[in-house]
Amino acid sequence: MKRGINILGRGGTTLIAISLALLLVSLIPQVRTFQAKGTEFLSPGEDRLVFNQLNITPHQEVQLTVTVEGKVTVYLLEKSLEYRIFNGTIDYWFNVTDLQENPDQIIWEDEVENGEYTRSYNPSRVMNATIIVYNQPDSEEAYLQYDLELRNALAPKEKAQNIAYWAVPIGVIMATPWILIGWKQRKRNSANRLGT
Amino acid sequence: MGKGKPFLEVLASAVHEDFRFPFLELFAFLYTLGTFAMANFTVSVYSQVSTDEAVAFAATTSLIGFSMIIFLILVFKNIAYGLGSELEKGIMQTYFSYPLKRWALLTAKLLSGIGLSLLLFLGIQISAFYIMAPDIVSTQLGTIILTYVANLSYPLFISAIILLLTLKLRRGGIGLVVGIMLYIGMSVVSSLAIVVAWATESALGLQIISVIAPTYALQYHYAGLSGISSVLWNPTLTEAMLYVGGSYVIVGALFILGYVYFSRRLNL
Repeated sequence: MKRGINILGRGGTTLIAISLALLLVSLIPQVRTFQAKGTEFLSPGEDRLVFNQLNITPHQEVQLTVTVEGKVTVYLLEKSLEYRIFNGTIDYWFNVTDLQENPDQIIWEDEVENGEYTRSYNPSRVMNATIIVYNQPDSEEAYLQYDLELRNALAPKEKAQNIAYWAVPIGVIMATPWILIGWKQRKRNSANRLGT
Repeated sequence: MGKGKPFLEVLASAVHEDFRFPFLELFAFLYTLGTFAMANFTVSVYSQVSTDEAVAFAATTSLIGFSMIIFLILVFKNIAYGLGSELEKGIMQTYFSYPLKRWALLTAKLLSGIGLSLLLFLGIQISAFYIMAPDIVSTQLGTIILTYVANLSYPLFISAIILLLTLKLRRGGIGLVVGIMLYIGMSVVSSLAIVVAWATESALGLQIISVIAPTYALQYHYAGLSGISSVLWNPTLTEAMLYVGGSYVIVGALFILGYVYFSRRLNL
């Protein structure tokens, strides 16, 4: 019985230690490594490349904030587009019908209408990523203001914190009997020492 | 009394000695912190091997780096210091009064000293890896396991040497120093072997090192060692796995030697 309490208690304190490390890691602030801001007018059927990056890693997080007047569709795609810079403008090839043939390339497909939209993505493996804003052919001209950030973090903050928040109470419950027994024993020992 | 109970008694006592509060907690904290802090998912050099495998290998290797040092410190503490002082102070003799064969006694000590440390190391590392990159872990589990197996071979080789020295000398000090020297020495020797390979256009030195540290064979399987005009060494996966297998045969032989010495030659 006592050995079981010992094992459970040490398991609990170890779980607390791991959770504290996770919390510490999640509290280390993210470092911004890339930022792109811009304003655009999108005609019906027109699209705009906002972000195109090879090999983003699980340590990185892409965050996009978009303010729209009109109606647009924001795509995050698991692919990189071929592009060339010609006379100061980026020339790239994108066709929305290609996406219908390869729906597995779509990570987000969010419609935004007259408002602000913020979303972030943390990849779970090394992958290529592209963000495209598309104005549907049947829509009117849209005004778009975007702010994109690529940040580096040691760990996925939300996931690490969620695990820690669950693990700490479990660890405390596991460790409490062991701590109480140890404390009582210490108290008894010191009382005996005082008695002698 | 069955045979299992005295074994568990000795194992519990060894765990209690090796992981006094708060050592276990401290090392678990450091493993977790080290794993997240050192993780690196960027790979600059690829060979003909598929990118996903190379990324999984590189990421796993980066995770292992710092935590491996912590693992070795824990093993050094438990084997060289813990077992060494028990032999030196004669505490080991009291264990001989248990109705246990000597090999079972050593097994209990090694399970506590190395086994539990290894369990903690692998448990935290793989869980942390899964938190960071679940898709890499689920799709490249084979590569990840192979990388861990290859990377653990040399630390286990050092552990076996420390065990042998501790048993032979009945104290842990020299074993500890030799262990540290072997660990640091390997990075120096491997750097020299790479320079020699470039100079002589032959990877023989690295191939010899890979017999006890097969992680180099696996590394050059994924990244290839390039010379000035040609690829000097790019072993196939089968060859890399043969190096891994060979290294574990050596590690196994050293531990068996330790068992034989502890069972038959160690007079206390």
